[in-house]
Amino acid sequence: MNILTFIAKNALRNRRRVILTVSSVAVSCGVLVTLQTLQRELTIPPESEAASLRVIARNKVSIAQPLPARQLGVIERIPGIVAVSPFTYFGGLYAEEKATGFAQFGVDPERFRGIMVEGRVVQGAYDDWVADRNSCMVGADTLDRYKLRVGDHMRFTGTFYPMDLDLRIAAVFQGTVDDRGVFFHHKLLDDAMDNGGAVGTWYMRVESAAVAPQVIAAIDRAFENSSAEVRAETERAFQMSFMSMLGDVKSLTLSVSSVVVFTLMLVTVSTMSMAIRERFRELAVLKALGFRRHELFSFILAESFGLAGAGAVLGIFGTWIFWSTVNLQKLTAGFLVYFEVTPRIMAMAGIVAAVLGIVSAMGPALAVARMSVVDGLKTID
Amino acid sequence: MAAEPIVQVRELSKIYRQGDLDVVALNGVSIDIFPREFVALMGPSGSGKSTLLHIVAGIDRATRGTVLVQGIDVAGLNESQLAEWRNQNVGFVFQTFNLIPVLTARENVELPLLLTRLNGSERRRQVETALQLVGLADRMHHRPDQLSGGQQQRVAIARALVTDPALVVADEPTGNLDAKSAADVLSILQALSRDSGKTVIMVTHDPKAAAYGTRSLHLEKGEIVA
Amino acid sequence: MALPLKYNFRNVVVRWRSSMTTVLGIGAVVAVVIVLRAMARGIEASSGNTGDPRNVLVVRKGSQAESGSLVTREHFRTVQYLDEVARNENGEAVASAEVIVMVTAPRRGGGGEANTLLRGITPRGIELRPQVRLVDGRWFDPGHREVVVSRRLGRRFEGFEVGGTLRAGPTVLSIVGHFDAGGSAFDSEVWLDADEARSIFDREQYSSILVRPRDEAALQSLVNRVENDKQLTLRAEREVDYYAKQTATALPIKIVASLLGGAMSLGAVFAAMNTMYASVASRTREIGTLRVLGFSRRAVVASFLIEGGILAGIGGAVGCLLALPMNGYSAGTLDFQTFAETLFEFRVTPDLMAAGIAFAVSIGVVGSLLPALRAARLPVISALKSL
Repeated sequence: MNILTFIAKNALRNRRRVILTVSSVAVSCGVLVTLQTLQRELTIPPESEAASLRVIARNKVSIAQPLPARQLGVIERIPGIVAVSPFTYFGGLYAEEKATGFAQFGVDPERFRGIMVEGRVVQGAYDDWVADRNSCMVGADTLDRYKLRVGDHMRFTGTFYPMDLDLRIAAVFQGTVDDRGVFFHHKLLDDAMDNGGAVGTWYMRVESAAVAPQVIAAIDRAFENSSAEVRAETERAFQMSFMSMLGDVKSLTLSVSSVVVFTLMLVTVSTMSMAIRERFRELAVLKALGFRRHELFSFILAESFGLAGAGAVLGIFGTWIFWSTVNLQKLTAGFLVYFEVTPRIMAMAGIVAAVLGIVSAMGPALAVARMSVVDGLKTID
Repeated sequence: MAAEPIVQVRELSKIYRQGDLDVVALNGVSIDIFPREFVALMGPSGSGKSTLLHIVAGIDRATRGTVLVQGIDVAGLNESQLAEWRNQNVGFVFQTFNLIPVLTARENVELPLLLTRLNGSERRRQVETALQLVGLADRMHHRPDQLSGGQQQRVAIARALVTDPALVVADEPTGNLDAKSAADVLSILQALSRDSGKTVIMVTHDPKAAAYGTRSLHLEKGEIVA
Repeated sequence: MALPLKYNFRNVVVRWRSSMTTVLGIGAVVAVVIVLRAMARGIEASSGNTGDPRNVLVVRKGSQAESGSLVTREHFRTVQYLDEVARNENGEAVASAEVIVMVTAPRRGGGGEANTLLRGITPRGIELRPQVRLVDGRWFDPGHREVVVSRRLGRRFEGFEVGGTLRAGPTVLSIVGHFDAGGSAFDSEVWLDADEARSIFDREQYSSILVRPRDEAALQSLVNRVENDKQLTLRAEREVDYYAKQTATALPIKIVASLLGGAMSLGAVFAAMNTMYASVASRTREIGTLRVLGFSRRAVVASFLIEGGILAGIGGAVGCLLALPMNGYSAGTLDFQTFAETLFEFRVTPDLMAAGIAFAVSIGVVGSLLPALRAARLPVISALKSL
């Protein structure tokens, strides 16, 4: 026997309590990790190198306010822009769906080629899409989800636009951060709306991340004091601001997370004080046998730390495995896509558990340090 | 007696505060205890016999007076020195045995040795010697709840002996035992002082137990009466 | 015979340290669940109690929300002169053609930007909505760049106080008044004159028509007539029905509330079990004594279940108290149909609190079931021997 086995034997003495404590710590850590992952999913768009080279220009009034098509000529002449295409959100309902979990955008296919550079066509042909104005390019995820094939037709009912779309799948792309979208010829929108000449946003790629700020400033300046003022921003900034509109997700998850941490603390603190109170007399005996305060303190700390740690490992990795296996995209109809439990989130939950382990040891350790051997021996459990 | 006393108690007083009252547990006690003695401390409950034992053994502190054990002033040691001192010089036997329930007999006896520099095999040898001395070598893998009361107390004695202390203190060691087990335990304590050169101090209120000792001291109201 | 309740209460009080951790733990779980459900309630209520049952809303067929609808001036003219439409004392049709535009505005306190809905209304628009009252300033003057905003929006957006301004691209609109829409969907809106809105935002068409039929029979007939007229390509429905359908957004929050409540209550059950097992262990002798005195096993089980229930019930009450300050707290969420921010107030209602306490008690009873059975199984003799 050595000190470590002694600690382990002590910690495991009340098996039922160990199981209950470890499970409640595990559940709490799991909830904490899930909440943090949810917050990350809802507030931070996925990193993409290509996205930092893209700029979106929208009407300064709001994203819903269209821009005049004639702006294209001005934007094209701004130095630093490699490619620019109209980019209009259609917001249609697929087939008979009441809510559709992927977006459809009207673009200029020829111009769009130079913008979505990280995606590659995995089925069908890009040129086929360019050639046929009633065809579309579909993300591989959507294709799989609806078990579609190249050549099939997708029908959309317009909700913002007084028109429906019937699109033949000409190409399938893959390799972007979000392989769900459907892209179609903007001409279909132009023709259906008599006035033509309006687009939702301008979508462009710039030469390098370094020129992006100048390009953005130049676009904003170009339309200042015109009837359609423009707000340009990088794709990432655009996504961030869109996500910030989800509302007070951050403060909500933060406050729920802190309640979870608080209950976690209650559980470990009460368990440790129960475990120690029950053994007060034995600790007095150990003191009489010559164990010093700091030795007793490390016993308690090791036990508390061990319980919290075991629960944390179980909860954190269990949650990680759970969310990696579950197909949330299918489950939430596209509302949650990645739900990636990052090492950072796992480390954060681990640190919380470790701190709790230490904090829970404090009270009992203090009580034991203060205890006189004689009084301790008198305790009956 | 020829030798120097191993325990010298001089003018020892202990006053507790209990609520608003001062309770005098010890009132100017002076005694000498010599090596190889087996002293029985007797007296009615509240006479201060346990308090005296606790102070001598270094788990309680006196209000006034001095205690020298092997020439060392126990009161002059700080908490952690005192703990180390107890580990090396004092063996404890309690009325309720106080074994750690999750550990086997051998592990319980080994416990005080974890504080020493001895390696595993040296520890094992000493643990086995101590258990043989109390006649429980065959029970070393049993846990306390698998042993009888008498056996448990003998394990506790082995634990008290394993660090080879000069002084063994026992607080009502037979209080929870039947007559047969009590006799076994007392014989072992007696043998310790007679054959192994230990000094044993035992608190008891049982005259039959005291009879095993070499000397009896009676306390009443915090003072030595005989 | 059952043990007196006093016994359980005193036990809970005597062991206050461990009781408190259980109470607070369960309280925290209940508070989270109540607050989330209060939020879902608030979101549902924000559009649920909107509209007047006497009104009919006309939008384009196929559009999901007013903001995605387009209605021409000819449509308005046609609908306005239908026989079913009520007339006011001046003989004017009680109908309003409206324009919905979304505007991005800065939140107060540097919280980024959010979208808000601008509703352009024609003069009848206000009298069609008795829910909406002016509480500060005055109504806008048609022909001037003036708007009236809801008081709640006024608290939420930068510059939305009376006398402040709202920027929509190059246009600057003066805020001349605040209205209160009684917690309805209009509380998330900015109102101005419809023609003004059409000119500022370059809109040929309207978004919707709100119309008041003469009576219930006229209402039915109007709805049928619009629906069946293939040329109009319009959809008519009761205003209240339209808004009642706009409540889907609270579903994710309800799901989160149930999942979170489930997971956290699991943790709470474990914690309660811990406490109750410790309570049983430290009362072994006491339980033995009770059994010797003649109390049955069943009485012991019942007693521990009741004790767990009391403990958790107090926890539930604490949870309600913790959740209560959130009542009336105003927050915003993105409406996925309009992409504008919807304001709502958390609603901690008595039935939510009662459900919370019931939830807590069930956690307590479930958590004390096994410990109670263990207490009942303790043999009388060993209970008395235990030190």
